[in-house]
Amino acid sequence: MISFPEILERATRGPIMSSKDFDIKVFIPKVREVVEKYKIRYDPGTPCPEDDDLADRIYQAALDLYVGVGTYVIDTERVIQFSREEIEDAVYEAPKEAYFGEGPDRCVFKGRKADDSEIPHCHVGSGTDTTEDVALKMVEAYGRISKAKTVSIPSVTSFGPLKSSAGSPVETLAGISMMRTGREGLRRAGRPGMGIINHMSSCAQGVSTIAASNPQFGARPSDGWLIAPHAELKIDHSSLNQVAYLTSWGANLGQEAGPIMGGYAGGPEGTAVVTTAYCFHGILVARATYHLTYPIHMNYVCSTTPDMLYVVSTSSQAVSRNVGVPYYALGYAAAGSATKQYFYEAAAYLLAIQSSGIGIEDVHPNKAVVTNGALPVDSEFTCSFGHGMVGITRKEANQIIKRLMETYLSGIKNPPRGRILNECYDILTMRPDDELRRTYDEAIRELRGLGIRFK
Amino acid sequence: MTGDDTLKEIEEAIVRGNKERSAQLVEESLSRVDPLSIIQGGMMPAMEKIGDRFSCGEIYLPEMLMAAEAWNEAMKLLKPKMLEAGESIGKIGTVVIGTVQTDVHEIGKNIVATLLGTAGFEVHDLGVDISASKFIGKAEEVDADIIAASAIMTTTMTYQRDILEHLTASGLRDKYIVLVGGGVVNQKWADEIGADGYGETAVEGVRVAKELLSRRGGE
Repeated sequence: MISFPEILERATRGPIMSSKDFDIKVFIPKVREVVEKYKIRYDPGTPCPEDDDLADRIYQAALDLYVGVGTYVIDTERVIQFSREEIEDAVYEAPKEAYFGEGPDRCVFKGRKADDSEIPHCHVGSGTDTTEDVALKMVEAYGRISKAKTVSIPSVTSFGPLKSSAGSPVETLAGISMMRTGREGLRRAGRPGMGIINHMSSCAQGVSTIAASNPQFGARPSDGWLIAPHAELKIDHSSLNQVAYLTSWGANLGQEAGPIMGGYAGGPEGTAVVTTAYCFHGILVARATYHLTYPIHMNYVCSTTPDMLYVVSTSSQAVSRNVGVPYYALGYAAAGSATKQYFYEAAAYLLAIQSSGIGIEDVHPNKAVVTNGALPVDSEFTCSFGHGMVGITRKEANQIIKRLMETYLSGIKNPPRGRILNECYDILTMRPDDELRRTYDEAIRELRGLGIRFK
Repeated sequence: MTGDDTLKEIEEAIVRGNKERSAQLVEESLSRVDPLSIIQGGMMPAMEKIGDRFSCGEIYLPEMLMAAEAWNEAMKLLKPKMLEAGESIGKIGTVVIGTVQTDVHEIGKNIVATLLGTAGFEVHDLGVDISASKFIGKAEEVDADIIAASAIMTTTMTYQRDILEHLTASGLRDKYIVLVGGGVVNQKWADEIGADGYGETAVEGVRVAKELLSRRGGE
């Protein structure tokens, strides 16, 4: 595979182009061209297609796209370009397993296949905005879920009375504080070696991420750092600096990408192709050993509509069949936490990704924009679903998803707000109140009635 | 071909995003139809149609950008003629838009900027990583009605508050409508920092901009 220094060389020697020209003259026409060339079509009646040929065409379209487009570097206004052979070599050589954590909490995250009978990698937690007073308790609650293999720790955007801003010293302090909180929360849960794989959710800038990643604050190379691109297929020096630092340390790097359906990628077909192409960018530019995807709907800002389920399902199949790297997806529910609609949306999303051959993560309630909106019960639901639905096929998943959508699609535009952690949990014991327990039990009972198994 | 037929064809060419065809039709029709009628009878209905289709998810950003390009090509031909005749196209307001300091996410902001332009606003897009003083400086320079600030991360949304505080500090708070948006921004945050409006989506943002502007005009 092309070395990282060679990537940096191309970032400073590649063709010069304005960001706008990259979007309008290169990216958009190429996406349209490959969608047509490979005859990729979206059928609203099949949110989770069982079509290996479609998955392979999406893969080939993504390969053509990345050969034609590459990755744009915002700071140098140049394009890192690759030949088809270079991309194919990178796919061949990319790590197919990632190791996270230490001691008895160490785990391996492997690529899966669609319709297989492997237990999916169950990742829990959320990097959504959380107040400092409950962050430790949240991490501890995540760590206590025994089926969870790895964890995301919350994003805290304050340091005592100070509000954090990207690039400010407060962000560095908040990042360090959260790093220590994450480790302490897992120690209190009895899982001190558990891998935290969403570093640094509290830091937007490379400088604060690197500062908070110093081992004296608790970070370990067996954790995972997510490297974010900019939509679509762009990267900046802040992210490349993180890659430079973390590869020098031998740490796990994760590629995270949230392509926007309805944006430059166009409709569901183009977005499925672009989502797949991020995998190449991740392997080559972000030096990823694992990959997180979260495509999102431009208008609804969630990922549980039929077109979004098609995007994540088909792109996951394209990756699991043709790349085989550790890959998982994060969904955004329109509904707020502690509502039945949330569990229905979460079930639909988890059905789509688990059957399509990738790892699973908690679906985030309320489009992840509500402070303290994520709940430990979301994680219990994810793991119980993942273990109960081992062996689910795409065909079965598609049928259940269609029935689920009948119950929640009408609520996507004006979803229920739900209740935040402080409103439905006893923060001292981290136990849900009776109302949430009833809602959860009812949702589970109804979902079982639709053929979903929990364990 | 009648004037109405030509206008219909211009409308169709813009809706399809065919910039060569729209420019050709405009050029041909200039001898028979006055520029303002071409804009009001052919081009504006096209952009209204595009806006409607975009908001209900029938088309996406690429189609909208192509239509905007076709509009721009036609305008290149029409503007000199209008200047000659001393005519102007009415704009509904002027917006200064950008992504806040330290945030380089641009796609959402670009969508809002495009939609505002097609809705009849004069848009000054400052790009990304824009400080509060740059937002305000540009707004003063172009005599804007609205400052629209996008932020995608919890750690960058605080710079939206900075804009409001800078406006207050310089005694300009009441002069501008301040709109905020972006991935992590919500109504609660907009209320907390004292923004005038918030749009969860690009379409919603444009609707709020129009509503606030017309409310201000009525005051």
